[in-house]
Amino acid sequence: MEIVVIQVLNSLFYAAVLFLIAAGLSLIFGVMGIVNMAHGSFYALGAYVTAWSVAAAAGALPAALPPAALFILLPLGAIAVALIGLAIEPVLLRRFYQRPEEYQLLVTFGLLLVLEDAIRLVWGGTPRTASGLVDSLGLLQIGGMPYPVYNLAMIGVGIVAALGLWAFVYRTRFGVLLRATAQDRRMAAALGIDVGRIYSLAFGLGCFMAGLAGAIVVPSQAAILGMGVEVIVLSFVVVVIGGLGSLEGALVGALIVSALRTITIQFWEEIELAALYLIAAIVLLILPTGLFGKKA
Amino acid sequence: MDKEQIQQERRGFLKQFGATVGAAGFGAAGLASVAGSRPAHAAAAPKGNIPSRPIKVGHITFLTGAAELLGGPGQHGHILAQEEINAQGGLLGKRKIETIFADEAAGTDSNVKELRRMKLSEKIDLFTGVISSGNTPALGPVAEELKVLTLFNDGCTDFLFDKAVPNPKYTFRVTNIQSADGVTAAIGAATHWPKARRIASIQPDYSYGRNVFEHFVLALGKLLPGIQVVSESWPKLGTTDFTSHITKILSAKPDLLVVGVWGGDYVAFYKQALRYGLFDKMKVATTLAFGGYPHAIGKDHPEGVLAGVHANYHFLYPSAERWPINKSFVERYHKRWNEYPSFESDGAYTALYLYKQAVEKANQLVGGWPEDEAIIAMLEGAGFNSPAGYLYVRADNHQGYKDAVTGLSRNLPGYDFPVWDPASIVTIPIRSITAPPSWPKPGQGHNESTAAADWIKKTWPQAKA
Repeated sequence: MEIVVIQVLNSLFYAAVLFLIAAGLSLIFGVMGIVNMAHGSFYALGAYVTAWSVAAAAGALPAALPPAALFILLPLGAIAVALIGLAIEPVLLRRFYQRPEEYQLLVTFGLLLVLEDAIRLVWGGTPRTASGLVDSLGLLQIGGMPYPVYNLAMIGVGIVAALGLWAFVYRTRFGVLLRATAQDRRMAAALGIDVGRIYSLAFGLGCFMAGLAGAIVVPSQAAILGMGVEVIVLSFVVVVIGGLGSLEGALVGALIVSALRTITIQFWEEIELAALYLIAAIVLLILPTGLFGKKA
Repeated sequence: MDKEQIQQERRGFLKQFGATVGAAGFGAAGLASVAGSRPAHAAAAPKGNIPSRPIKVGHITFLTGAAELLGGPGQHGHILAQEEINAQGGLLGKRKIETIFADEAAGTDSNVKELRRMKLSEKIDLFTGVISSGNTPALGPVAEELKVLTLFNDGCTDFLFDKAVPNPKYTFRVTNIQSADGVTAAIGAATHWPKARRIASIQPDYSYGRNVFEHFVLALGKLLPGIQVVSESWPKLGTTDFTSHITKILSAKPDLLVVGVWGGDYVAFYKQALRYGLFDKMKVATTLAFGGYPHAIGKDHPEGVLAGVHANYHFLYPSAERWPINKSFVERYHKRWNEYPSFESDGAYTALYLYKQAVEKANQLVGGWPEDEAIIAMLEGAGFNSPAGYLYVRADNHQGYKDAVTGLSRNLPGYDFPVWDPASIVTIPIRSITAPPSWPKPGQGHNESTAAADWIKKTWPQAKA
């Protein structure tokens, strides 16, 4: 029984991470029409910045401060990535909106390669960690099996982020502008909306989510070269199932992918990836735009 | 089982393999008398006219991705050897070494294209490097076709010389053969934990993990009576979230977990396993925990884990007193890179020096710059005093062999990362755990996955309960 409970929690934690990444990916596509291949690298960047700042702060802070104070640094990793995103959008991406999709795929794929190398150049090949944060929250006993409280807290962060994003998109003025631009860019521009600014902010917000995912993952795992490439593949499976451009789709897709992954790992691991791609293929066959995608 | 019985059983294993436990074990190998072990003619002046044109070397290794943890140290080892040789004026005092690096993470197809490009447009004289077992079987046949002298420093799958290149001419490999890795972990585990019966496994889901699992279970089954595999996990290479795998392993309640997960994946694995209490509930035997940059593993890594190095080398062993070559290598490496070497550093460093030794010997025999054929003749059956110990290159399969080692992790003062507990190091003469030269390869009268598997099945005695 405790195994089931822990596996469900494992699955939810992974779903929270996948959702944050896939939601950003979906948001950027929904508003800007760009499939951002480099999105996983922003996730990796969030992980590296967080690990680096936690290590730096742990050395600089007075010993009297509890290690839990370092939690303040988690959003910092996300904000740093958002700022980088805000800088990249006007400099690089803006030149490609009018071009066919192949160009956008190529330029974001190039960005992925540049970011991967930049990470290695700045932080080297050795994994970076921030395990102190996990240890500072201690362990929970579930039927005699330890479970890190940190993971539980981060499932909470995932839920809060999902609610916050929903409220932001559907309950604020900026959200209205965002959705208007997503629906019809030219009409929005004609009505006096600064579409360029909306694009920048949407890209920054997407990067913030990816950075946040990296920030919450790094204390429990590690910042590792290539982590962004690994996760981007699964994130694409998530958005294919949920529907590219849909936030609800990202949420449901993340839950489905993560649950399916945990179930196959527990019972029949050889088919882990096959099962995920099979589900994605079935969804594409029956609902080509995904579960929550807009009908073409 | 009481302590005395365990001691007795341990002595049994060690006797069976000629293996030893503890730092004093080095030198037990019976290979030192093999042909080709005469010292290098370092002092002899080169004969004939040597062109001053540089020697071009191609080196493919992981420069990005999670496997950079292995590729980075390999590149450092190669550069150190290159700089040292060039500082002495180059090969035969004349020919400086120039290296072209390429990223192995580009994938097998790209690696093959890159090797062709290196040979055809860059005109390389020597090809080195390669970490992944998925890549050497693709690159080996191409190297033979292009007739480019190749010293792989890893990519150690048995498949390369069992099947992909069964009669190698241009292709050699420096680090120990892959089946030795799983077998070494099994002997290490059986030596330290002879009571283990319920076995769980977590391996990366590709040829390396499959090979480790098969040979570990096969060897352990011969060493310990009545073992049972209670759980298998096969995460994809590059996995970073292991929580579901860890929970699955815990649910099977094993005594012993064998881990072939490596590189950045292993760092992520042990961090998560630690917080899930995995190391408190079972013994853990790994094949590659200490395989990357030594400092990649944190002090939070539990002690008493069998920390594998691909059965090759960890920098504190052979000890300074018994093998000064290693001490000097570690010092020079640390001075150059401000870090400690890994087994890939030793492999890449040794590969280049092995080439140098063969070139010098061939030059003494034929004069001038030797043809590849002459260099190959000097590589076949060559012996070399590498930092990791005495290395012997078998003539029949072009595979390098040296004593296999593994040890238990421990935090020792003076290092910011865990190293081996000197008292726990298990050294096994390589001939005790690899199939002999005449042993039939897969497809020649047996259908095991490797010659080693067939040899173990047919010749190792079965431990009785």
